[in-house]
Amino acid sequence: MNRDQMIEELSKIVGKENVLFSETDLLLYGYDASLFKAKPDCIVLPNSTEEVSQIVKFAHREKIPIVARGSGTNLSGGTIPARGGIVIHFSRMNRVLEIDIKNQRAVVEPGVFTLTLKNQLARYGYVYQPDPASERVSTFGGNFGENSGGPHCLKYGVTTNHVLGAEIVLPDGEIIWVGGKALDHPGYDLTGLLVGSEGTLGIATKLVLRIVPKPEAVKTMLAIYNSLEDAGRTVSAIIAEGIVPATLEMLDRLTIKAVEESIHAGFPLDAEAVLLIEIDGLKDGMERLAERIIEICKENRAREVKAARTEEERAQLWAGRKGAFGAVARLRPNYLVCDGTVPRTKLPEVLTRVMEVGKKYNLPIANVFHAGDGNLHPLILFDERNEEELKKVHLAGSEILKICAEAGGTISGEHGIGTEKKKEMFFVFTPKDISAMRKVKRAFDPEDLFNPGKVLPEVQT
Amino acid sequence: MKKEELKAQLYDEIAKCNRCGFCLAVCPVYAAVGKEWATPRGKNALIRAIIEGKIDWTPEIEESLYRCTGCRLCTQTCFPAVETNQGVLAGRECLVEKRLYPQVIDRVVEAIENNFNISNEPNINRTMWMETMEGVPENRFQKEKAEVIYFTGCVASFYPMAHKIPQNLVRIFHRAHVDFTLLGGEEWCCGFPLIQAGMKEKMKTLKEHNEKMVQKVGAKTIVFACPSCYHTWREMYQTDAEPLHSTQFIERLIAEGKIIFQDGRERIVTYHDPCDLGRNSKVFDPPRNILKKIPGVKLVELENNRQLSMCCGGGGDLEMIDPDLSSAIAKRKIEEIQKTGAEEVVTACQQCIRTISGYARKNKIKLKVRDITEVVLEAMSA
Ligand SMILES: Cc1cc2nc3c(=O)[nH]c(=O)nc-3n(C[C@H](O)[C@H](O)[C@H](O)COP(=O)(O)OP(=O)(O)OC[C@H]3O[C@@H](n4cnc5c(N)ncnc54)[C@H](O)[C@@H]3O)c2cc1C
Repeated sequence: MNRDQMIEELSKIVGKENVLFSETDLLLYGYDASLFKAKPDCIVLPNSTEEVSQIVKFAHREKIPIVARGSGTNLSGGTIPARGGIVIHFSRMNRVLEIDIKNQRAVVEPGVFTLTLKNQLARYGYVYQPDPASERVSTFGGNFGENSGGPHCLKYGVTTNHVLGAEIVLPDGEIIWVGGKALDHPGYDLTGLLVGSEGTLGIATKLVLRIVPKPEAVKTMLAIYNSLEDAGRTVSAIIAEGIVPATLEMLDRLTIKAVEESIHAGFPLDAEAVLLIEIDGLKDGMERLAERIIEICKENRAREVKAARTEEERAQLWAGRKGAFGAVARLRPNYLVCDGTVPRTKLPEVLTRVMEVGKKYNLPIANVFHAGDGNLHPLILFDERNEEELKKVHLAGSEILKICAEAGGTISGEHGIGTEKKKEMFFVFTPKDISAMRKVKRAFDPEDLFNPGKVLPEVQT
Repeated sequence: MKKEELKAQLYDEIAKCNRCGFCLAVCPVYAAVGKEWATPRGKNALIRAIIEGKIDWTPEIEESLYRCTGCRLCTQTCFPAVETNQGVLAGRECLVEKRLYPQVIDRVVEAIENNFNISNEPNINRTMWMETMEGVPENRFQKEKAEVIYFTGCVASFYPMAHKIPQNLVRIFHRAHVDFTLLGGEEWCCGFPLIQAGMKEKMKTLKEHNEKMVQKVGAKTIVFACPSCYHTWREMYQTDAEPLHSTQFIERLIAEGKIIFQDGRERIVTYHDPCDLGRNSKVFDPPRNILKKIPGVKLVELENNRQLSMCCGGGGDLEMIDPDLSSAIAKRKIEEIQKTGAEEVVTACQQCIRTISGYARKNKIKLKVRDITEVVLEAMSA
């Protein structure tokens, strides 16, 4: 089918003003927050599940690839139209449909920003726990696609633990429901399968989310270190003691420098590392727990441990953490975020090896990560305009993931595989493992139309 | 502007954009439009693609770059603080050279070139706002030498809806015994609309003329009620006179005991930070300090205030270029105002008043929108 016909058909479904296809628009929907680029054939902005279903039915009939897109903030090329086709942008489907406090559930459309729901819940004293650093702009569709995590996921689990059901448009355009408001559903756990499938199996058009009352009390502490290793050891020591803080985040010297230049978060510039530790729950016993954590920090040679005294101080510390990726662009224009996970006890050793990779390629590396989960985010700093450097960055990124895999970890904590890390899948899976996943993909999408070219590498047979 | 110059000026700045998309959450244009071309990230990507020769100027790029209110909330909340609006304005300069720009702009430029103001009136009518005012002195508030110049601005001078602002401000000056003058027909447009249009080079004559006039009066201070004139002056002009926004000047008059407030009505008031006054010129406290001094006024803040204030939709010539879009942005502003429960929103910009009250009137929303000069004068007279 030629493009004009395609545009005409799609316009019948969503209206002319909601189909974009100029050269300029194709360029604008050809990027996300990763380093990859490719152009779609057109972009549509539906307003309802029914419209999404019709778009997909049309694409299915004509064998046109479909890529779902929220805010395009993913870091792994998840929304890059690798084989062209139609991008479905969900910005118009951004309604919070239901906040059901009594049953602790919320129902949203996929284009709602994560933080928008959270702000609405705050009025009821409720929270949606997952907190990706990008929450103010990431959409629930994107969170669903990537199974996003965040600092508080150490205690509360990642997106999949909070999505209880979804309305899904399948690759043939049929609309189904998986899961629902109840806590457990009989039959196969398709919700679990779809969360984190990066738009390759189904497109979510409504999501049922778990919401919970805000913890009665929180305490946020900043532990300051003269060595990265000591900070790493503290993380293991806290967890080994059976304490599960709400967050255990680490920032290293270079990240601190960038953050402090950007906003004044209150991280000391001469420290090698800081830990951002938050505990939450019942007021009763919280002070005792905090004291114990401070002791552990000190036993592991923390130079100083400070507690946020006011809500503003707490907000400031978190603003620093959440802006860390963006802030490093003050040091060099661009950064590649690696997203490896390692067993917590291996943190100090892996960090040392990561820094060696930086030295080998002569690229600065800043570290800011979910230490409690062993989820590293080495940020390799460079200038995208320098092709030589760009090549080195990809090699260094891959090497870092190899180190994580060798340490018994894995190649993605929360940012997904997308186009970026397909070949690294072999660091952690055998061809047989991949083939098993491929079978699932075929069962849902035999024609390979939903986000083709993502997640699964080709397996030679 | 030529592509080479665009590259020299902005490539390094725009290269800092890593497409993280945090700006999507705050951009008023994206909130209203919902398409990537509306986002600051998209605007940076387009400028970059132009610089790198990946795309040529298109009507869609024109549409994108001319739909920015210049509110700079994107930069405020961007961790590497990418100056997207600088790219947008430079991009417009390139588009102008290609003759790709909204045609309404020609009308304004023509008016400025012919009349030295943005209206169709000859500039001699700059004091027409006095027609509906009582007790205008014979010199029409103009003298050869004065301590203070009040730079009225085009909108307040020529658009009846805004006439109250100069009327009230000169009354305040009069009561506070300020030695001031207007430039009258010798006040020319400050050049702000030309910068926004992408025709910065055309403001040279205006600037030179205004600077000369200020010099001639020998004033120490030059006061603006229009945040955009004030901002333009601060950024582009060089004179010995200190530029002050009316709120800063009034705050000083209060401190010197020259303005004294009588009792006022008990009421809840909220304050909207105009982008060019607040975020872009960093004047946040003077208007608040004034309001707090007025008896009876209880000031409640908008959810997004000061550095994070949301644009009213009227910035950067947007109301002229795309009134529907401007009005969609105003809608969000009004919803935010209504959430405070305040019966009255005070601001310090004729354009903000125009956009907010214009939307409210068209949509039959009951809302009192007032300039701070009106509130001050009322409290002085109470
Ligand atoms: C500065 C920065 C910080 C970040 N911090 C974190 C972090 O702390 N934790 C974290 O986990 N991630 C983080 N991310 C990555 C990213 O923000 C998350 O993956 C986020 O969930 C993506 O949301 P989005 O709306 O931008 O999705 P998009 O990027 O638009 O899409 C992401 C994936 O989801 C799919 N998708 C989109 N909508 C749907 C739908 N309706 N149905 C099915 N699939 C869909 C897409 O096809 C794509 O594969 C960060 C990114 C940046 C740039």
